[in-house]
Amino acid sequence: MTTGAFRVGTGTVPREDGAVATVREFFAAYRAHDVEGMVDLCADDAGFRYVPFEVWGRQRVLYGEGKVRTVGKVIWTALIDAFPDLANAVTSLRADSDGNVAAEVGIGGTQAKDFGTIACTGGHYQTPHLFLFHVTGDGLIDDIVAYWDNVGWRKQLGCLEVD
Amino acid sequence: MSARGQAEKFFALIEAGKVDEILGLMTPDATVSLVPLNRHGPMAADGASYLRELSRSFPDLLVRVRRLFVTGDNTAVAEITIDGTQADAFLAVANQEKHVDLDQAWMLMVTPDDRISAVTAYWDQNQLYRRLGVKRLDKVTITAG
Repeated sequence: MTTGAFRVGTGTVPREDGAVATVREFFAAYRAHDVEGMVDLCADDAGFRYVPFEVWGRQRVLYGEGKVRTVGKVIWTALIDAFPDLANAVTSLRADSDGNVAAEVGIGGTQAKDFGTIACTGGHYQTPHLFLFHVTGDGLIDDIVAYWDNVGWRKQLGCLEVD
Repeated sequence: MSARGQAEKFFALIEAGKVDEILGLMTPDATVSLVPLNRHGPMAADGASYLRELSRSFPDLLVRVRRLFVTGDNTAVAEITIDGTQADAFLAVANQEKHVDLDQAWMLMVTPDDRISAVTAYWDQNQLYRRLGVKRLDKVTITAG
């Protein structure tokens, strides 16, 4: 793992600053609903885990866990489809010198389609998230983990069933 | 003791249910944000109250630190898993002796003299309710068998 400086734009910057710049770019692409742009900021085999994402069926549980290019891309696309005005605001960014970045982000939108077990009632939500990234020495995201509270999310959208 | 060391001690003390010792790691005016509970206030009040309830309700609590890093502003960022069996009402959910495992993320801001000055925690309360047998968010005290 590279821990020194790497090039971003026209200058050489400390690893922390480069990792933060990549994460800012990721959320800018998310605000623009540019899923391909989000994916392009990630390494080919980047890991993905949306911790609260659990879909409990009769036979099995589906988790929001896998790779950015398979699970992540599908979830982001489905979210933007169901919440066409989906927006985010980064409220804090912290990084270390090994490429780890913690980002607190408010995400919200107005529901236009059913999403999973949440039937569409046209409700609006705004929910704080914590994203944990790892960014490589080359400035690519190779791991994304996110935490948020589904109770707040579901209540705002009028869904009171736990599942 | 580094921010990493303080964080490791903090989680070990949560597991041990030693809330007064946790408060001993803090600055006197330390704050806490328990984001899913929408509880934001002094660690000595809101934080201690939550941790005491957690300890009382899950006397066999295990806290496993899965990832820990310290950012440039001396904030320890940790992913943990808490694990335990309910033995008393917790956050208004009746005790059914259910086993719980829950992934959480915590951020502990540490001062230059190694005191924790702010604590922020994220988890999914829906996952917790599901594991405790809660069926409806407007009736968390009514649980399934």
